[in-house]
Amino acid sequence: MSESDGKKPPTPAPTPGGRPAPKHPGFVTVTVDGKELVAKPGANMVDAVKTVGSDIPYYCYHPRLSIAANCRMCLVEVSNSPKLVPACQTPLAEGMVIQTRSPRVQESQRAVMEFLLLNHPVDCSICDQAGECKLQDYYQLHDFRPSRLEGEKILRNKRKVLGPTVVLDQERCILCTRCVRFMTEVAREPQLGVFGRGSAEYIDTFPGKHLDNNYSGNTVDICPVGALLNRDFRFRARTWFLSAAASVCTGCSRGCSIFVDFMGQDTYRYRPRENESINKSWMCDQGRLSYKPLNQHRLAAAMLGRGEDRREATVPEALKAVAEQFKALAGTEGLAVLASPVASNEDLLASLAFARDALGVRSVYVGGRPEGAGDNFLMTPDKNPNRRGLEWVARGLDLTLKPFSELGKAINAGTVKAVYAIGGEVPVDPSLVAQGFARLEYLVLQASNESPITAQAHVLLPAAVHVEDEGTFTNVDGITQRFRKAYPARADVKPHWAWAVALAQEFGFPWTQASARDVFREWGPRVAELATFDWDGAAPPLKTSRGLHPIATGADGRPPGYREFGTPRVRGI
Amino acid sequence: MAHADERQTDESPSDEDSELEAHLQTRRMMINLGPSHPAMHGTVRMRVELEGETIVRADPEIGFLHRGFQKSCESVTWNQCLPYTDRLNYVSAIMNNLGFLKAVEKLIGLEIPERAQYIRVLSSELHRMHDHLTCVGAIGLELGGFSAFLYAIEARELIMDRVSELTGARLTTTFGRVGGLNRDLPDGWIERVTKTLDKIHELLGEVDGLLTANRIFVDRMRGTGVITTQDALDFGFTGPCLRANGINYDVRKAKPYWVYDRMEFDVPVGQNGDNYDRYLMRMEELKQSEKMIRQAMKQLPQGPIIVDDWRIVLPPKAEVYGSIEGVISHFKLVMEGVPVPPGEIYDSTEAANGELGWYLVSDGSGRPYKVHVRAPGFAILSGVPRMIEGKMLADLIPTFDTINMIGGEVEQ
Amino acid sequence: MSLRALTLLQEKSPDALVEQYTDRSGGAWGVVKPDSLRQVMGLVKDDPQLDFKLFLSIDAVDRLQLTDSVPRFEVVYFLYSVSQNEHLRLKVRVGEDAPEIPSISSIFQGANWWERFVWDFYGIRFAGHPDLRRILLYEEFKGHPLRKDYPLRERQPLIPERPIRDIFRGPGTSGTA
Repeated sequence: MSESDGKKPPTPAPTPGGRPAPKHPGFVTVTVDGKELVAKPGANMVDAVKTVGSDIPYYCYHPRLSIAANCRMCLVEVSNSPKLVPACQTPLAEGMVIQTRSPRVQESQRAVMEFLLLNHPVDCSICDQAGECKLQDYYQLHDFRPSRLEGEKILRNKRKVLGPTVVLDQERCILCTRCVRFMTEVAREPQLGVFGRGSAEYIDTFPGKHLDNNYSGNTVDICPVGALLNRDFRFRARTWFLSAAASVCTGCSRGCSIFVDFMGQDTYRYRPRENESINKSWMCDQGRLSYKPLNQHRLAAAMLGRGEDRREATVPEALKAVAEQFKALAGTEGLAVLASPVASNEDLLASLAFARDALGVRSVYVGGRPEGAGDNFLMTPDKNPNRRGLEWVARGLDLTLKPFSELGKAINAGTVKAVYAIGGEVPVDPSLVAQGFARLEYLVLQASNESPITAQAHVLLPAAVHVEDEGTFTNVDGITQRFRKAYPARADVKPHWAWAVALAQEFGFPWTQASARDVFREWGPRVAELATFDWDGAAPPLKTSRGLHPIATGADGRPPGYREFGTPRVRGI
Repeated sequence: MAHADERQTDESPSDEDSELEAHLQTRRMMINLGPSHPAMHGTVRMRVELEGETIVRADPEIGFLHRGFQKSCESVTWNQCLPYTDRLNYVSAIMNNLGFLKAVEKLIGLEIPERAQYIRVLSSELHRMHDHLTCVGAIGLELGGFSAFLYAIEARELIMDRVSELTGARLTTTFGRVGGLNRDLPDGWIERVTKTLDKIHELLGEVDGLLTANRIFVDRMRGTGVITTQDALDFGFTGPCLRANGINYDVRKAKPYWVYDRMEFDVPVGQNGDNYDRYLMRMEELKQSEKMIRQAMKQLPQGPIIVDDWRIVLPPKAEVYGSIEGVISHFKLVMEGVPVPPGEIYDSTEAANGELGWYLVSDGSGRPYKVHVRAPGFAILSGVPRMIEGKMLADLIPTFDTINMIGGEVEQ
Repeated sequence: MSLRALTLLQEKSPDALVEQYTDRSGGAWGVVKPDSLRQVMGLVKDDPQLDFKLFLSIDAVDRLQLTDSVPRFEVVYFLYSVSQNEHLRLKVRVGEDAPEIPSISSIFQGANWWERFVWDFYGIRFAGHPDLRRILLYEEFKGHPLRKDYPLRERQPLIPERPIRDIFRGPGTSGTA
């Protein structure tokens, strides 16, 4: 290897004992690009240099997987080696001098990029990864030269379906083996492997087997190029156009932290967000698909009447109808309140406070989604995101919780004649519940999606989902997380707490809460566990990506009635 | 003027004065030279308060053409700002484009190829002639000399033909990209421009003959719209309006850029700071621009017209469709924009109306953080009340003409 | 480029400049305290060695989305000296609660309209300005659009039509309002 211009970095002089004494005892002190870095012993060089502002590019390294060091992109110049060393694999040594931008390093990065791109197909126009692709990013930064290839590129299997979630493009794969290591180490089911040898290697599933693990979607996230792609998201949107909002998954009670990728007022996918205490950097496939009800079969307008009498109503009309009916029934046993543990803490606080103060109920029936399968990693059998929150809120507001089966019995017995339901999720077959609700004299339902039950409502109020408002969820371990608003809701759709406040005003209560924050500040302190929760401080940072087409807002935060030109109609959302 | 609305104000003089005044009931008249007015170049509203024929107070109201230039530029990439810059001074759009690009390239620290610099000088001067011809023609038109206007417009049309061959558009050209130019000169363009310049020379001679020594023209223009040098500097006059006062400040000579230091040209400087001198500045600058264009065409070297760096400039289409490197670079540049390093810069060029300054702030992403355009017309328009208060209403028209306020750049 | 001017300014008025730096492209900037703004402007205009008589422009930057975003606003001033052939770039940093700085419209007449522009689009008041009202936007406009928290496609409330007595409205109406 030729000697580069410039002096070799000085090697630290050894003390008589052998190793140099540490400058900061208990830590490792190194010099990175002339800046001093003090790191804990055992810290990985790639992560550590970010704290002083240097950047080392990498493909195969992942902080939560084992180290492979096969991409060679992170090669840096260090003082204790004449050759360039991979930063992900080299332990930090006391007094080491690291150079991440020297001419040798730059030439190495350029060469690695050139080799990686030699057989890479010309696919950017049709590849989903464009916009979040490391090859694209590092090419612009480290190798901006034209291609020197004078032949054909190697052809491989271009759209191999590996399983229900993942499709593989073997030509785009750079064989970093992140997916293989993930399946082996994190998902604990080694369904992927590297086959072949040398330059004929390729990633594949074992013969006759599929990639059907519940965590296979994470391989798509960690794949640095567009080799592994999510079949559900494929060809649906360009990531440059998507905006991201920090939120919480509502698929089960684990409440994994996610990013909601949306464009205009539609959600396109969920992506996991780093959260050391809940989901690290992963989420399950079922949770990924749980965004679909946010877009499909949504209720848009308030409805009055059942069957043939059903008509659209304005919000004041609907509120008046509810007040008329319920004022008479308030305080009696004939009125029951059904709360769903899918609603956020703020929704439940306002709604149950309304139920207690205005409707005079002392107990609340618990609805929610039916139980499903769980596993021993992230997915829990309870498919409701906020059951703990409902328990806490009910306890704090002095309401007892009763199971859903008792409501069924009470309706059949005739004791309950009217129901006020916060959320339309029920733990048994909805058509059976709809038959039961058909016997009710009056059903007021606040729901977000259409279902057989919504047809039985006398007053149907369209509710917002969690991406359309701010709030908190409490997961199965009792961790309360805040989620941010992604986009405003359409038409007359309001969050549950807003309906509760409007109804309370209709009943004559002087409630003035205008945001989820106001709701939490008003009733949060009454709930013992939520009183110490710092609502403002718990928010995930706001600097998430803004897509290229910002959401249009009116002067009051509502979008205008027509569709902005920048949000295309995509089939099958 | 037939277009004025009359409105009475309540400012009547005290009635204790002579009976005659009480009989006459003189009041000051408020005339609204409204935004939709042929003499108000580009929608400007002048509310003038008249005492007889004398303008006691003039209050320009602008903003009818405000289109949110700065805010729009902040949400698109650097190259996508170019169409917005076209629409600033829309009669000399190339100068806006290239001035903006000069500032961006300086912020990146980029040297553009020599041929690109020559073509930039060439096209800038061509559009400078375009702007001055419009101004001179309009002066003639509004003082009653319609034929002069027609000659000037015909000359302008010839220039527009050449510009549309070069850039693809007559008015809003979007010429140039960060790093150089997007198109080279078409075949035979140089010969056509030479013929055009000859024809313009003739037409200019006609206009000159019709206006410059014309008795009525001189009487209306000389001594009207005077501004003192002190006031001119204070208000921020630059360009022909400042040079008409005797201050020799031209950015092309003071801080030469591109290849202006290789061009031989003079900068006309006036004396009196009145309308007539401003008119003469523009007539003389037309001749100088013609000289410069001929020189540039003779000196034009061969070579690339854009920098070869794919971090800044789109790769050639064969590479984009044929190699992964090309398509990656194309995607990143189009979707994320040219990666201008974070920083700020104030840079200026000599546009037709004066010093066109650009204050750019970049945050390191491919989109501008702030684009401030120091429009020369804005400063000059703020000095107009000073120029005509105390003068006659009829002097307002030539004053408004000679300052060449273009609504697009004043109101962004 | 204007380094000479800044050095002279620093000599003549030592604590006027809070900071001095050179930007990426070589332009020299001086950061001025709001209280000493008038004094500095008077000095650069009148002093024969500085002689910055040509007033170019004023504008503001909202630093909300940059990495160091406190104080939020920076008001930048550009001047030029014909005799010295030098540009001068000064800036004043203002926080976001009730931002206000002294007006220099009594020193430079041209500052009048530029300060109205900054008030219109950023909401920074200029103390001592004779007529601080909106210049490019209409009076009933709500908000200050070039601030970074003003959405790109924000809608404004509709305002009633102004009563203009002698406007002619054409056929189908009663003629005059």
